[in-house]
Amino acid sequence: MPTKVRYPIGVRPLLLEEAARRRRLETRFVSMLERAGFDEVVLPIIDYADPYGGLLDARRGYRFVDREGELVTIRSDFTPMVARALAPSLSALPLKVFYRGDVIRCEASRLGANRELFQIGAEIVGDASSDADAEAMLLAASVARELGVRPLVVYNDVSIAASLDRDTLDSLKTKRRAGSPAGPFSKLIDGTATLDDIASFAPLAATRLREVQRIVGDRDFTLQPDDVDEPGYYTGIRFRIYDAATRALLAQGGRYDSLYGRFGTPAAAIGFTFTIDAFEEGA
Amino acid sequence: MTMRIAIPKGRLQEPVLAVFAAAGYDVPTASELRTRRLVFARRDVEWIFVKDCDVPVYVEHGAADAGIAGLDQILEHGCSAYQPVELPFGRCRMMLIAAPNTPRLESVATKYPRIARQYLDSRAIHAEVIPLGGSVELAAVLQLTSHVIDLVETGETVRIHHLELQEEVAEITPRLIVGRTVYRTATQRMRELIARVEEAKDVYITV
Repeated sequence: MPTKVRYPIGVRPLLLEEAARRRRLETRFVSMLERAGFDEVVLPIIDYADPYGGLLDARRGYRFVDREGELVTIRSDFTPMVARALAPSLSALPLKVFYRGDVIRCEASRLGANRELFQIGAEIVGDASSDADAEAMLLAASVARELGVRPLVVYNDVSIAASLDRDTLDSLKTKRRAGSPAGPFSKLIDGTATLDDIASFAPLAATRLREVQRIVGDRDFTLQPDDVDEPGYYTGIRFRIYDAATRALLAQGGRYDSLYGRFGTPAAAIGFTFTIDAFEEGA
Repeated sequence: MTMRIAIPKGRLQEPVLAVFAAAGYDVPTASELRTRRLVFARRDVEWIFVKDCDVPVYVEHGAADAGIAGLDQILEHGCSAYQPVELPFGRCRMMLIAAPNTPRLESVATKYPRIARQYLDSRAIHAEVIPLGGSVELAAVLQLTSHVIDLVETGETVRIHHLELQEEVAEITPRLIVGRTVYRTATQRMRELIARVEEAKDVYITV
């Protein structure tokens, strides 16, 4: 098909009703975040690649060389950009910010995977407490609820993985039990580990998860300590929000306490990002 | 909620169904399977029968919750699903194959271009990958390519074409695969499925 009549896979224009629905959703999101005390930051769509060296998945973002010969990348993840933008002038903390806009990813075209995603997210910067963890999770869940979706929030602490031996980590990554080692990790593998069990090898994570669990409760929130994957820049709580009815992934987030230090001013931070397209498809 | 399980049609179908039956699941009977139906609803499980190479695709995208797929297909699709149970049958090897005295690895014909590429990259070998649909050994016989990467079960095909096995690329076994999203959102059901298949997996090797 000639390029005159088609678009690259994963991008499309929103026309009329679709555009109107996008804006309505966006307005509701933004007013909820503003009511919760968050202020907007607007970030550029392109930035130099160098400050993010090793942070952004290089295969994910489109990159090009600009006229000055600098390697430039198109925005593919808001969170590191927010950190880079805020870090030089952090003063009164905690700071609550939100952002909205498109991210563009050059992922290998997977079925139904959009390359251009409209996202709205929020962050609490400068508060390392479990109260901030719970606040971010509860806010994200209530945003989903207000938009008519019953959220299922699955959460864990990525620092658990760091305290595991290689065999246990492999077992958790594949969910394979055969030959799983005996001892404190075996309950984690078979899914029966309590926070007391986890405390025996990851005491800080267990304490943190216990505090968070006490605040967020069990309704719509599921602690899944065996959920390990590549942590990326996350350092603590990590959560994903699904539509409980359709299992569509709506949002994800977590704590990334070492990200701001990279850009000059160490600060704890937790945040979440909704991909708005996920709501539009369900609507 | 119904759980949808993808079964690979072909040589693995019979042993795989025997495992699920031994695990206590109500599976379609042989006579039902002789009809051309591909979807069978049984209590709270919906069985779908798809080509073996498509199982990881269905599971990856959540169109099936779980399935049985060979490691070859899992790797070739870059499938991110969990692989909780390795089945004790249908084992074979993915091999690098060439005619005797082939001097240098310059090109590889294969049904598995992604696996071949990763293998070559991991060895830092600069060689071209030629994707083929089948009868891959012929490429080495006719010198379309210097080498071939393909599955080897008994080695008979390799022998009758006077080729030789050079190196193992991967050991291939069929596995139960479970989608990440369904594992996160229906954890108890998926853990039960995994436990039951793990328990029953040895039933077929004694037959």
